[in-house]
Amino acid sequence: GCPQGPRPVTSVLALAVTSEQIEHLHRRFKQLSQDQLTIRKENFDSIPDLEFNPIRGKIVHAFFDKRNLRQESDGLADEINFEDFLTIMSYFRPIEMNMDEEQLDRFRKEKLKFLFHMYDSDHDGKITLQEYRNVVEELLSGNPHLEKESARSIADGAMMEAASICVGQMGPDQVYEGITFEDFLKMWQGIDIETKMHVRFLNVDTIAHCY
Amino acid sequence: MEVVWAVGQVGAAWLAVVFGLIIVPSALGISLGISEAYMWVLVKTLEWATIRLQKGAKKPQPQMPRTPTANGIIERDETPMEKEISLLHRADFEFSHIFYFCRKGFEAIVEDEVTQRFSSEELLSWNLLTRTNVNFHYISLRLTVVWVIGVIVRYCFLLPLRFTLAAIGIMSMIVGTTAVGQLPNGRVKNYLSEVVHLMCSRILVRALSGTIHYHNKENRPQKGGICVANHTSPIDAIILTNDGCYAMVGQVHGGLMGIIQRATVKACPHVWFERSEIKDRHLVTKRLREHVADKSKLPILIFPEGTCINNTSVMMFKKGSFEIGGTIYPVAIKYDPQFGDAFWNSSKYNIVSYLLRIMTSWAIVCNVWYLPPMVRKEDEDAVQFANRVRSAIARQGGLTELPWDGGLKRAKVKDTFKEEQQKNYSKMLVRNGSVG
Repeated sequence: GCPQGPRPVTSVLALAVTSEQIEHLHRRFKQLSQDQLTIRKENFDSIPDLEFNPIRGKIVHAFFDKRNLRQESDGLADEINFEDFLTIMSYFRPIEMNMDEEQLDRFRKEKLKFLFHMYDSDHDGKITLQEYRNVVEELLSGNPHLEKESARSIADGAMMEAASICVGQMGPDQVYEGITFEDFLKMWQGIDIETKMHVRFLNVDTIAHCY
Repeated sequence: MEVVWAVGQVGAAWLAVVFGLIIVPSALGISLGISEAYMWVLVKTLEWATIRLQKGAKKPQPQMPRTPTANGIIERDETPMEKEISLLHRADFEFSHIFYFCRKGFEAIVEDEVTQRFSSEELLSWNLLTRTNVNFHYISLRLTVVWVIGVIVRYCFLLPLRFTLAAIGIMSMIVGTTAVGQLPNGRVKNYLSEVVHLMCSRILVRALSGTIHYHNKENRPQKGGICVANHTSPIDAIILTNDGCYAMVGQVHGGLMGIIQRATVKACPHVWFERSEIKDRHLVTKRLREHVADKSKLPILIFPEGTCINNTSVMMFKKGSFEIGGTIYPVAIKYDPQFGDAFWNSSKYNIVSYLLRIMTSWAIVCNVWYLPPMVRKEDEDAVQFANRVRSAIARQGGLTELPWDGGLKRAKVKDTFKEEQQKNYSKMLVRNGSVG
């Protein structure tokens, strides 16, 4: 049957998503949810392309992370509806031509915040060494020849690098607690992430679909 | 009483017209030009409709990149993984890798390459068939009138006509092949069986209002060879037998299909397997090998994808067909979706509703390319050979190649395939990043 029109979307999305793109996303949502009103984690199992992704777990987790859903409370949601789905998708909006400095800056911060949440799995606002190691291990998972030691040393090396950027030279008995969001922003200063972290829709002039 | 007489007269007149104008010429292989005229009118009407629709949609569109919708609606970055990760490379490598995988993950969630292939191709413009017209808004009175006329023409005129033709075609196939089957084996029988098969195929193609363009006829499959083609619908077989005779391979069905199978196998050595036999791969290969070894037998027709794909891509070819040996004659079939969608989504529609949709479309227009024959090289195994043939077919038909298994329509990704991919990534990471 005909999909019902989506509810009025939040102003976050008003910028770049056209009604056709929302329609497409709605159809995709219905496909994933199997015509239910909400999606649960299990629904993401039906995407073959996603099976290969080593950080699949973290990506799916990000959809249910209440911090990303802009909800006041913390923790994980059990299920999300279409509006939540659009909220998460909005983190991957491409840049618009007519954005000014302030908008661009906010844009960038949003994307980096999303990424930060992906690392910070215990939601305490800091990326600790253990959390970092988890991410690296997940990225390298699936290769039985790679020992845990290699993964660990990669993580440790990277963490030291991060610490040196953020805190400068550390004293011999100083312990670096973890990367906060401000440090995270500092690390990515000058690097153009906006063009790497987006999904751009093509201009689809379909007036009607026949199937 | 008079009413019955009148109806009888009309019925008889109708049949006479159908016979005279359609069946006899098509059985003899000549064309009266009626189909060409019909197609010309159709094309003109659709062009007009498209122009009206474009005028009607007055929204100014922002300038964004365009691409045929056959391959998806998001812009995919085709940079290979290594290049893209090294571009972002800074001292800490996993941050850059995480961008890459994040984006790939989101792309997969918005639209995955596989599921897309199991739903029909979307058209850029409307072809006046409102199978489901989600976005239809009233554009103009003229367009609506034309659409209504279109519905009436299709359902009240074309459908009964096609149904009659199909019925006649199937019946003559059954009767004809049974009759030929009574003859003793020999050259006469083979010749007559070919004649009967060709005639009935032509009638059935007319029943679908099919317009088929055959290219490179000099590469047509020869006796003792194996013909492989991409699979979009059950009609594929009729499209190919319209131009040559093949020995079909398939499972024994019940009902009408079963009757046809039993009748045709009397005249021509088609290879029908019982359901239990299909499971035994060695048995299947053995029987097919015997058939191919006999050079006087007609070429076998096989669809190695194993299931219907929506004609925008070619999925993995099952290697079984390529282990038999012999010469492979690849054939690429590409339907034009403008006039009617030939794809059979077997999980969504059953065969009857599928045939109904086909018979109420405007026409089935397709291109068939016969590719030069291929033989397996010595250092190639069956899988590599299968991929080589698949590339040739995809390139000719303008289809994309996907390494996926058509079985994914119903099942999940095999673990072995998944692990392969993960290993590739890890290997590359260690090479590039462990210095970090």
